Parts: sequence; C-alpha cells; structure tokens
Amino acid sequence: MKKYLQIFKISFEEEFAYRLNFILWRVRNVLQIFLTYFLWSTVYSDPARQVFGYDRTKILTYVFGIMIVRALVMSARAMDVSRDVANGDLSNFLTKPVNYFKYWFTRDVASKSLNFIFAVVEFALLFLVLKPPFLFQTNLTILLAFFASIVIAILIYFLILFLLSSIPFWIPEIGWGSHFLVSIVIVESLSGSLFPINILPPVLQSIIMATPFPYLIYFPIEVYLGNITGGALIGGMMVAAAWVGVLGVSLNIVWKRGLKVYQSFGR
Amino acid sequence: MIKKIKKYLNIWWMMSVNSFSMVLSQKLALSMFLVGKVFRFTFFFLFLFFLLKGTGSLAGYSVNQIIFFFLTFNLLDVLTQFLFREVYNFRPMIIKGDFDLILVKPVNSLFRVLMGGADVIDLITIPPIIILIIIYGASLHPTLIGIVIYLVLLLNSFLIATAFHIAILAFAIVTLEIDHAVMIYRDVTNLGKLPVDIYKEPLRGFLTYLIPVGVMMTLPARALMGVATTVGIIVSIFIGFTSIFLALKFWKFALTKYTSASS
Repeated sequence: MKKYLQIFKISFEEEFAYRLNFILWRVRNVLQIFLTYFLWSTVYSDPARQVFGYDRTKILTYVFGIMIVRALVMSARAMDVSRDVANGDLSNFLTKPVNYFKYWFTRDVASKSLNFIFAVVEFALLFLVLKPPFLFQTNLTILLAFFASIVIAILIYFLILFLLSSIPFWIPEIGWGSHFLVSIVIVESLSGSLFPINILPPVLQSIIMATPFPYLIYFPIEVYLGNITGGALIGGMMVAAAWVGVLGVSLNIVWKRGLKVYQSFGR
Repeated sequence: MIKKIKKYLNIWWMMSVNSFSMVLSQKLALSMFLVGKVFRFTFFFLFLFFLLKGTGSLAGYSVNQIIFFFLTFNLLDVLTQFLFREVYNFRPMIIKGDFDLILVKPVNSLFRVLMGGADVIDLITIPPIIILIIIYGASLHPTLIGIVIYLVLLLNSFLIATAFHIAILAFAIVTLEIDHAVMIYRDVTNLGKLPVDIYKEPLRGFLTYLIPVGVMMTLPARALMGVATTVGIIVSIFIGFTSIFLALKFWKFALTKYTSASS
C-alpha cells in the first residue's frame, strides 16, 4: 500500500511539473463546455419549456454535471499503457515488484484528484458568471447511488483504456489510432458528454444503452437528477456492474495472451 | 509571377504525394482515423436533426438552416486541416533545431511549415461535405448574389483561418508551445459549429469580432440565407485582410527570435 501511496504522490507532482500544459488543458475543458451550455440554454430559454423530459433547471444541471463527472471519470493516464507496450517500456515494469494494473490505477486516481480540484474551481467560477438554475440534490439515497455509479464508471473507463492499450501487443502501429476511434470519438459521442442520450429515438437509445459507454457520464448524471429511480436504477446499476465484469474478464484474457506474444520491441 | 506560382504548386504536389504515401502505407491506422471522423460528424449531424425535430427551431433558425451552419463550419474545419496539417508537426522541428534545414532551402519557409503535409484523411471527407452543402444550401432557396457572397465570405474565412495558423506557428517559435495553442484554436472555432446567435453577450461580441468565429463560420451561411448586412460583410473582409497582414508581421518577428537550439 505504501508504494502505491508514493506513486500517487509522484504522479500528482508530475502533473504539476508541466503547469502551462495542464492549465491550457483545463482551459480547453472550459471552452468545450461553452457550446453545450449555450446550446441548451437557448433551447430552454423559456423557463416553462419541457422537452425530452427535461426542464431548464435539469438540463443546465446536466451540463454543469458533465464538468464534474468528466473530471472524475475521464481524467486518466492509462492510455499511456499502449506506448509502454509498443516501445517495449513494459519490460521495466515486468521486472519490478509492482502490480502493473494497480500502478496505472494509482496514477489515474492522482490525475482524477487534480482534475477534480480544478473542475470544482471552474464549476464555481462559471456558476458565478453564468448564474444557471441548478438542482442541488439533497436525497441521501440518490446521492449514494450517484457516488456508486461514479465508482462503477471509473472502473469501466479504466478497463476500456487498458483493453485498447493491449492492441499494440499485436499491432504496435495503431496504438494512437485505436485510442482516437474509441476513447476520443466513440466515448465522447456515446457517453452523454455532448448531450443526454434520451433525446435520440428509442431504438438508438436502446442500442447505445446496451454498450458500456452511457454508464460513464449519462447514467451517473441521470441518477443525480433523480430521473432514474427504483427498478430502473437497480437495473441500470446491474448492467453497469455486469460491464465491469465482462470488461475485467476480457482484459484478463487479452492481457495474458498479449504478454505471451510480447517481444519488447525497441529495447 | 506565374512561374513562381507554378513552382510552388509543383512543390506542394510533391510534398502532398509524400505525405499521402506515408499515411496510405498504414492502411489500418488510416481506416481508424477515417471511421472516427465520419462517426463524429454523423453523430453530431443526427443529434442536431433529432434535437430540432423535437424543438422546431433554434435561435430562430429552422432545421435546414442550422444544419447548413454546421456543414459550413465542417467544410472550413476540414479544409484547413487538410491543407495545414503540417502545423501540428512544427514543435519537434523547433525543439530539435531541424527548422534550420528548412531555412537554408530555396523555398519559402512559411510555405513549407504551413502546407508541407496535406492530410489525405481530411481530403477524403471534403467531397461528401460539399455535396451536403449543395443539397442543404439549395433547400434554403438562395439568390445568385447570395451564393456569390457566400463563396466570397468562405474565401475570407479561409484567409482568417490561414492567419490563425501562421500566428500559431510564430507563437511556437517564440514560446515553444504549439500543441495546446492549435487545439485551443480548434476548441474556439468549434464554438462556430452553431450560429453565434446562441451565445449571450459579451461572449457573442467576443466571438464575432475579437476572435472572429462569427465572421468565419456564421456570416457566410447568413449571407446565403440573405440575412447578412452590407456593413457586416465589409467589416468581415476588412478583418480578413487585417488578420493575414498581422499574422505575416508576427511570423517575420518570430523568425528573428529563432535560436536554432539543439541543432
């Protein structure tokens, strides 16, 4: 446990080593939220308007919720694993008394902590500037379910990143291509970080809800808003937990097979 | 002058063929990036379609008008990425001092670092976007003069986008920072995916004139719809020429600061 605490500290400090990079990265996050915020603010400019099951308060809470949930779920370093595999740096870890998965998970937690702190500050600043109506959830059961859904989302994202990073065991040259396709394009589109999934037609919604992606952003925020309760909440949690199981087992198989073909290229 | 243009067209063609060959040699990676770009475009297109189906209009614009704004944004975005992809590779040249090798060649150095690596993936996506622009543009029943002004303003937007890319290159020489600068440029221009009318003041004014996203992305489409003012069109062309003039000045200044470090 002690060594992972040290890894956490080092990773946290490392994020601060490139301050300008980090600050510009956060500036980009704020810019990205502007389009979403003003789009929905225009759609719901009439406070009495109710479309797609949302009113102005709920939809703008959704947009602000994206900032916090994204910082917790999608701030991660595990995409760098593909580089380790492709250029042979993985060998350095295989010879050390460190669990490689725990190492990267600890680094992810450090990244999430730092991004979360900044996201809270940005949230507060934008809240003061834009003054949106906001739903402060006070129901303890809903809040507990929200935190549980965040934990599951973090695990799903970590497993997706590791599975993608395993591809270079077989095809080293598409490490970045696979991350672009899945963790940037597909995750961004299907997770609900652009818009709530339920504005799409029911058929498309059903297809997307059968994938692990909406459980990263859309599902936790919907839980927070109180739009998913009772049987639907339990069902959703079970599906999300099942995805953790499926992705975990898949990673276990893929990683073991990957290590068998690993040739430490470039070392 | 014509001889010079011919020479540079030849050089651009050769550099583009090399760049295309490099990308085409990795077919799997190429297909992944292509699928990713098409997926992202289609998904946002569908989102706008279903959103406006539910709401009827957005900021006073109809479904087809909003989609036309989105398509105009995409055309400019893809066109600049296709032509100016090399900008994304400039930082290593500066850090390693490899820019020296470009400076000593009998080719304009700005031309080389700006247009030296055309992107085949973006090239593939340009024709479908143009076809969609024609289809959705026709549905808006534009006048001939509206179409002409739209095309002129598109050229003007391209001029501003070029100025931004030159400024980013100059900024990279002065500060060694380019990766985030170019991504911030893209994030800011992304705000032009939809008409700037959706933003509230002072952000709208900021996006219209200071960082002219409105001039670049919204105004051409508004001109085609016949709702742009003459003053707005003249001001936008003034912004276009001023921005390219200032960007070139900044580039010349930046060259005097190049230290050739690590070379």
